[in-house]
Amino acid sequence: MLLADFGTTYCKLFDTQRDTRARIVASRALEPGFQADLATGHNAARRSKRAVNELSALARGGRRLISADSFVLLDCGSRDLKFVRFAQGKVVDMGWNAECGASMGFTIELLATYYQLDYAAMAVPQSGFSITCGVLGMSHIFDAVVQGSSEEEAVARFVRGIALNAHRFAGAPEEVYLSGGLCDNPLFVACLPCTVHLLGRFVLLEGLLDLLGHEKGHIQL
Amino acid sequence: MAEQVGIVGVPPLEVIAALNREGARIFDLDEPQPQIRAPIEQSAAWVPRVYCAILRTVVLNAMLLKLDRIFIDVGPGKCDAALNIAEVLDDMLAIPIHRTHNQDRIPYGFPLCTSAMPMVEKFTLISKSVQKATPHQPREPCTPLCGFWGVPPRDFALLRLFPEQTHVFGWARCMENKTPADLGLERQFDPSLPTVFFTQTFCAKSALAHHLGRRHPQALVIDCDVSPSNSARAKIEAFLELSGVPSPAGALL
Repeated sequence: MLLADFGTTYCKLFDTQRDTRARIVASRALEPGFQADLATGHNAARRSKRAVNELSALARGGRRLISADSFVLLDCGSRDLKFVRFAQGKVVDMGWNAECGASMGFTIELLATYYQLDYAAMAVPQSGFSITCGVLGMSHIFDAVVQGSSEEEAVARFVRGIALNAHRFAGAPEEVYLSGGLCDNPLFVACLPCTVHLLGRFVLLEGLLDLLGHEKGHIQL
Repeated sequence: MAEQVGIVGVPPLEVIAALNREGARIFDLDEPQPQIRAPIEQSAAWVPRVYCAILRTVVLNAMLLKLDRIFIDVGPGKCDAALNIAEVLDDMLAIPIHRTHNQDRIPYGFPLCTSAMPMVEKFTLISKSVQKATPHQPREPCTPLCGFWGVPPRDFALLRLFPEQTHVFGWARCMENKTPADLGLERQFDPSLPTVFFTQTFCAKSALAHHLGRRHPQALVIDCDVSPSNSARAKIEAFLELSGVPSPAGALL
């Protein structure tokens, strides 16, 4: 059975019969008729036989991967932010910010390409911009550069602003489990003002496996 | 020809009874009317775009329906914003705008709110019940799976996410009970049921929804503007599913 997490920028795939590791494919590289058996993500409804709610997949995946029974799981993807909060093994709060959290991850990746930056080599800035979404935050970068900041410093402040916004959105927890593409961005992770446990990019796929009743440890993270 | 009368909120029972006796055709201006295809943006000539979608719908309906008069409840059973919209309607239309303060306290019961029935049909009947002064038909209450607290949403598509065995609370229950100003009834909920606390975006009732949601052990507080966004739908779906409530046929898992 082919499972997929159809993200806006990247698609995460796992074939339960053939794969031992999940694969990442750029969403724009998928054939127009590409179909999964069971999927989640923005394009799941049109690209799969059965679509699963993203928050549900995230919560199920988190429950499989995290041994604590009370925790906050924050997913920072290309297009939006999602979180679920568990208390004593039950989901007690959740959120999906597709509007004000729009295009955060996508914008961060775009900026690295445009300014030719390496987030692994960038220092955490002293302060971040006060921003609520990737698109609106861009103007802060341009203003900072006009006022004499280096491009690298301005982008770092942008990333920090986004990290602070994501942390607030999840209820400002002291400890957070992070999933999604921004797990791979060291600057973003370092800018989160709390203890961070990285879960990687396949938590939603784990959620799909949970739905199918598969045992834990199926996908190598 | 029957008089065409618009109502906003729940006018007092004596008003409804009189309109029923006179054979008036009643239009619930809070709801989108099927014969009106104009976009809600057209109401922006009279009311801000950033405003309660139900009251924007009231203005749009009042602009385009050929009404003889309007009864708008501006008392504690509706909202402060209706008081201001009454001013707009007065200025906009050359028909009588009757402001009412519904303080009816005789409980008619809420059999629809506790029945098993598709939620769209349930809310359609609850809204229709406001237009009649007659007692409700008795119905067998069902064993609930979850709760919905709030007002009838501007877009009933939101209701398709809930199973038939959803008990309805909040102002919608007050509507059916014909006591729209009964805050005691409005603030009731069942703590044993996973419950979605819903309000329209920009509605003053959102403060009550947040307050009650904080006190409820298993609550999702949500607001929607004109129509439910994908994220709003997903939050409700996931909340119900993760609370162990079976998804209604046709809804996304």
